[in-house]
Amino acid sequence: MDDAANSGISEPLDLVKLSLGERVFIKLRGDRTVTGVLHAYDAHMNVVLSQVEETIHIVDVTEDGNPLPPRIEKRNLEMLFVRGDGVILISPTQQ
Amino acid sequence: MSGFFGFDTSLPGRGNSGAQGGRQQFSGFQASNVDETFALGGAGEEEDLAVYTWGEGGMGGGGLLEGGDDLNDETFGGDMGEISNNFQFSSQPAPAPTTKGKIASTQSRYKPKPVSDPFAFSEDDFYSSRPTAKKTTSAKAPSRPKASTAQSGSVENLWNKPAVSSPAWGTAPSSMTKPTPPPSASYSSQPPAPGHIKSLEEIEAEMAQMAMPSTSTAAPTQQKVLSLEEIEKQMMEQIEPPRQATPQQPAPPREATPTQVPGLAGSGYASQQALLDSMFPELGKGPAAVPGQPTPAFPAGQMQEGQGQPQPPRPSPEELARMEELHKRITAKIQSMGKYNNLMGSSDKDFITRIQLSQLATADPYTSDFYAQVFSALKRSRMIAEGQGDGPTVVQVGAGMGLGVGGPVGNRFGKMGQNTMTKLSTQVKKLVENRAQHQKVANTAALQGALGRVTRGNAAAPRPVLAIPTSNKPENRPASQLNQQTGVHRAALTKKQVMFALEELYDAILELEQMRREAPPPTAMEEIEIWHAKCQAKVDIIWRRLMVMEPLDISNPHPFISLVNPIKGQKLFPRLLRHLPHTQSITLLSLLIATYTQLDVVVRAPPPPVADASLLTKADRLDRAKREAETDSFLQFVIPGVDMIINRCGLGLVAGMLAISAQRSEVWRVAATRPGVALYTALLSKAQSLIRSPTPDPMNSQQNQQVDPAELEQWSKTFTYFLHVLLPHLNDLFPSSVAQKAAFGPGAYLIGGDAVSDREGQEMERREAEVWGFVAVLAVNAAEEDQTNLVGALREKILHTVQSSRHPTVSPARAEMKLRNVNMFLNGLGLDASMIE
Repeated sequence: MDDAANSGISEPLDLVKLSLGERVFIKLRGDRTVTGVLHAYDAHMNVVLSQVEETIHIVDVTEDGNPLPPRIEKRNLEMLFVRGDGVILISPTQQ
Repeated sequence: MSGFFGFDTSLPGRGNSGAQGGRQQFSGFQASNVDETFALGGAGEEEDLAVYTWGEGGMGGGGLLEGGDDLNDETFGGDMGEISNNFQFSSQPAPAPTTKGKIASTQSRYKPKPVSDPFAFSEDDFYSSRPTAKKTTSAKAPSRPKASTAQSGSVENLWNKPAVSSPAWGTAPSSMTKPTPPPSASYSSQPPAPGHIKSLEEIEAEMAQMAMPSTSTAAPTQQKVLSLEEIEKQMMEQIEPPRQATPQQPAPPREATPTQVPGLAGSGYASQQALLDSMFPELGKGPAAVPGQPTPAFPAGQMQEGQGQPQPPRPSPEELARMEELHKRITAKIQSMGKYNNLMGSSDKDFITRIQLSQLATADPYTSDFYAQVFSALKRSRMIAEGQGDGPTVVQVGAGMGLGVGGPVGNRFGKMGQNTMTKLSTQVKKLVENRAQHQKVANTAALQGALGRVTRGNAAAPRPVLAIPTSNKPENRPASQLNQQTGVHRAALTKKQVMFALEELYDAILELEQMRREAPPPTAMEEIEIWHAKCQAKVDIIWRRLMVMEPLDISNPHPFISLVNPIKGQKLFPRLLRHLPHTQSITLLSLLIATYTQLDVVVRAPPPPVADASLLTKADRLDRAKREAETDSFLQFVIPGVDMIINRCGLGLVAGMLAISAQRSEVWRVAATRPGVALYTALLSKAQSLIRSPTPDPMNSQQNQQVDPAELEQWSKTFTYFLHVLLPHLNDLFPSSVAQKAAFGPGAYLIGGDAVSDREGQEMERREAEVWGFVAVLAVNAAEEDQTNLVGALREKILHTVQSSRHPTVSPARAEMKLRNVNMFLNGLGLDASMIE
């Protein structure tokens, strides 16, 4: 059975296709992650997501150069276009 | 910067430019001018894409000839004077004010310049050098009409400036990279200060100057044979109306000067201007037609003397400050972008454009560019409503390749459009053909890079720039695999398999829908038959992929149920049903009902709400939200389809379905979920309507016959069994009762009480209504003694609901909903809630 499913998959992005319409987790450059429902993607890993929650991991540095503990900032977006050059990984969310 | 930005924003501004002419007198930072600057720049960008003649020797970039200075004349055109002026704008290395104050003659002629005006030099140089230029040109013209004129001295200076970047807007790159040795004569003119910076206005004016030749239809070939007289005449034209070239003034580009720039005519600006003309026809009119007249861009005093036009009010200081701010930002932006000017030669641009175009070209533009087509159709209908013309929705590029365009082509690109698109399509056609040939040679290239390794290719098998789909992947169907191992109980489909199967189904459905759209004309009988056969074949494929015909117990959940479990599959359901014939949809429904308990929305129905959401963990909340979303989606997408199929069933079938459900599942568990309630309600109400209204239907006499006594008897038997299984659990069907049961601890008393917000309460009543509707159809279907049983089982629930609706703390809206719910049930029995004391 697995072979049957695998035979139609010829390149890595074919796996992303399986997540269309599903919630995915995307790790981005710049210490950001987003989760959202995947609507479209292309060969450059440009993706369109809806119901997005973006998480930004921030480390603030005090004036004397000491890093504060990392903090997390979140925001929610209705619809988001993510340019592919920032994408590090795409994965289906586990539920 | 994007051409579209310029395109969009400039349109409204243009209409104003005339009216705002007075303002432009004292403000160099008119918004409208800013707009125009961007519009021009944007148009330039557009032109890069639209008007380049790829691979045809490059008129725009004729500049890639490296050696051989003897071609310089042709490259630079005959009149270096004008060119030098035109090129100056681009050579702005820094925003700093001028280092050398070259303010002289022009200052006397024009309004006093601000001290910090960074734009002081260019016109000064321009004019002071002109007499010399004229002399030298006249002297040299007979022998070498195209030789560098006196003003090339200033060009030379520009080139020799250390930090000078190459010209903006992509003008003839080679001319900047290859300085000509200046004729000694040209040095008689005053070289401009190296540190000078051009202002936005100057840039505008110069762009406008460059833009002019298109209207003069000057072709490079003609320029080569300019006679002395002609050159002189041109020089005179420049001198005589000198005001018009004032770069100090934010003149609207087209009005700025009648100066001819013949040498640049072939450099792409001509075509750019033509494009501009086509896009903004109103620009070309007006002042440009009367070049001798002073334009509205002149200082206030002159303006009033010259034309006496009414003066609009002065802009307020804040406005001025704002505009200055804007201007600074724009200048800085242009400068920052200017760093990269002419990094790419025209062949580089061609190359990239080709790559981009080849990405766009597709073998099936109608499907691949579906959204462009839809957008185009919408736009087209609007334009037709406005009385505008029609155009193709697809640009054909070669055999079977094309790209969809959003919106009519001709209108988009103006009168240049058709021409440009023709060029473009020939380019892509060449590319595609070339590519196709290559693929014949090296077909294994398709697999290259599949594993992510970068293949560099070689001469025999170059790395594909354009991937044309050569063969279809072998069709993968888990179902066929399954059929080979009949009778075996297997593991359920994995999530990956489900997703894969769904993607295949979507592909098939999309193809089928596309096929249906391409129906041949009703007159062509043969074609219609072929078309029908093709559609039927596709439906068969879809049917097989649905895996409905798998044995019922092949796995848990059944493969088909696995397909409808994800929201993606649920959304597919109504689209599928449209194409399935009646018998197949009945089969599908029977399977669905038989395996209803395997549905995620039934097995993992959302748990009853808790009194205090803070008791839940985050994962819990997410899980609940997901289940709710799945249930909602199931009710939205699948249930309407189920209703539709049920509505086409006869009583016998309905009875059969109910029997299947009663046999194969614990009815009360299914009925305790919203999808279950919806299914049973649909079945029971259909049965009731079949029994109640056996009135002969002239359209469908069959239906009347279907209610024969045997079927009726079968139905009542099945229903009675169903009801009796359900009766003991009737109270548990109501969400409020379930919630109360599930509640525990200190929050328990809150359920259904005052603490629940009214909104949540109303949502609860809405859910309750579904169940009340269900028990109502139960009551309607039930025989008399069963009705008594039913009322007995629900007695407490009814009393409780009616009493709570009269409770003072319950909001009127909710109370009304409660009463309506109860009455839905009671009215079916001929009772009413008002009868309850």
